Amino acid sequence: MPTDQQPTAGIDADRARRFRLDRTALSDAIPLVVPAIPFGFVLGLAITESAMPLWAAWLTSPLIFAGAAQLTMVTIAGTASLWAIISAVLVINSRHVMYSAALAPPFRHQPKWLRWLAPFVMIDQVFALAVLRNNDPPSSFRRYYITIGIVFFTVWNVVVPLGMVVGPIIPESWQLDFAPVVMFAGLTLFAVKRVAAGVAALVGGLVSLAAAGLPDRLGILIGAVSGVLAGAVYEEWISTRNGELTDAEAAP
Amino acid sequence: MSHSAAAVVLLAGAVGTYAFRGGVMLLLADRTIPPILERSLQNVGPAVLAALTINLAVSGGGGSGVDIVAIEVAALVVACVVAVWRKNLLWTLAAGMVALWVLAAF
Repeated sequence: MPTDQQPTAGIDADRARRFRLDRTALSDAIPLVVPAIPFGFVLGLAITESAMPLWAAWLTSPLIFAGAAQLTMVTIAGTASLWAIISAVLVINSRHVMYSAALAPPFRHQPKWLRWLAPFVMIDQVFALAVLRNNDPPSSFRRYYITIGIVFFTVWNVVVPLGMVVGPIIPESWQLDFAPVVMFAGLTLFAVKRVAAGVAALVGGLVSLAAAGLPDRLGILIGAVSGVLAGAVYEEWISTRNGELTDAEAAP
Repeated sequence: MSHSAAAVVLLAGAVGTYAFRGGVMLLLADRTIPPILERSLQNVGPAVLAALTINLAVSGGGGSGVDIVAIEVAALVVACVVAVWRKNLLWTLAAGMVALWVLAAF
């Protein structure tokens, strides 16, 4: 009977939709996961050579889950004061404040448990993929975010211990350290969908270039803040200009 | 480094990183955002991504200073053209890396 078949058809359609979402999330994540693997191996090797106790250096992967900050921590441990190590890690990760701000709008429509769990996996790559889906329906955004979060967290926490055991096996001549730059350049272009976003990206990039000499990747934060301000100024200018044009048209 | 000192840096690093990642998001979650802030937040993504790309491109592994060679710039240009043309990440990665390897071979 049709009345019996309709709910089943609805469930099948829902399952197919979730399958499509998972497949999209996985295919988006793969190009960003692969370049992270050699870095994970390098970090694994650095952990074995660190002055930190092995258990603590290894726990940086599941607890801090931020490659550059982890590498800094395990490398300078033993040669820097505790305060210097902590502040270096926090300065490097300060750019995540901007990620948090950018992803605030879609997370307003998410359940509390996800809002509290999501920051654990909000790394560069997860942010870069998720921010392109800010306007997706909340259920799709949630499924996508969780899938890519699990992929990156799992791969990282497998690769780093592997690196601790086998060390770097990928030849340097492959220059895979350049791969993330290529990926982020593509993601930047995908994210620019409005003129104001283009202004923000252009100014963000140029200021970041001018500030590249600053330590601890502070240039990212300074560039990002400048870009956002430039985008806001541009939008204000456009709305003022449109207002003036409307006034002029309305005038007798 | 002693076990207790390691525990302190590990804990401080983990809590601080979580606070940076979750703070703004959790703070804004249940509040009404003024329209101007909502519009500005839409520009955060492109601005951060551009700043991150340029910083990673010119800073190399060290994290500071300008250190980029002509073939890397050329490979990035190729990748950007393919990104705009194909609108696909795998194609972008493939084009950029192949361009880098071909140019490095000469």
